[in-house]
Amino acid sequence: MYQGNKKYTNGEITVFWYPKKCIHATHCYRELIEVFNPGRRPWVNMNGASTREIIRVVKLCPTKALDYEYNNKDAQKGQSRDLSVADKTVSEARIMKDGPLLLKGDFRIIDHEGKEIRHTGTTSLCRCGASKDLPFCDGTHNKTGYKSD
Amino acid sequence: MENGHKSGEKIPEVRILKDGPIMLKGFFRFRTSSGEETQKEHEIYICSCGKSGNKPYCDETHKKSVMSG
Repeated sequence: MYQGNKKYTNGEITVFWYPKKCIHATHCYRELIEVFNPGRRPWVNMNGASTREIIRVVKLCPTKALDYEYNNKDAQKGQSRDLSVADKTVSEARIMKDGPLLLKGDFRIIDHEGKEIRHTGTTSLCRCGASKDLPFCDGTHNKTGYKSD
Repeated sequence: MENGHKSGEKIPEVRILKDGPIMLKGFFRFRTSSGEETQKEHEIYICSCGKSGNKPYCDETHKKSVMSG
């Protein structure tokens, strides 16, 4: 396991942090600075918001650099239904402000040479043109100051 | 086999066009950075060079930048 990986718990759930997966999409701290504050150590404060709110924001992470699980696995079954807000059967393409194009759900992605790229779950595609991992986002837009609006 | 999709349903397609935008085609939910959502049959072209004057959409500025470069 990579040494930088961390976990944080409030007794009910545990949030996992995988820094190598982070593309600095910034959803976590823009949505919930009380819990996810990069300027603080430790940067995750599990007492800053309700479990439900923390889960909502962890789920916004496009690369699963943030993930979570219930400490008591049985509690998850009752909760997960309440939390499904959007219709998950419909694929979603989302424009992130000053950031990538986020694809959630099923999409057939075909690259510039006509080859299909295997894709499951969530993917971020570069919109700034500066990524070193095209067509995917690698977080470079944060360094170049890319503005989309 | 197309996991999770009933027969007859088509998976929306994303095409990375060579030296051009990203084409999104099919039925999906599209959400802009200002939070507007449309769930329907789409065919849209998203700027991937970062230079469009009509972001997030492509306005073909990439052609100018290739030609002048």
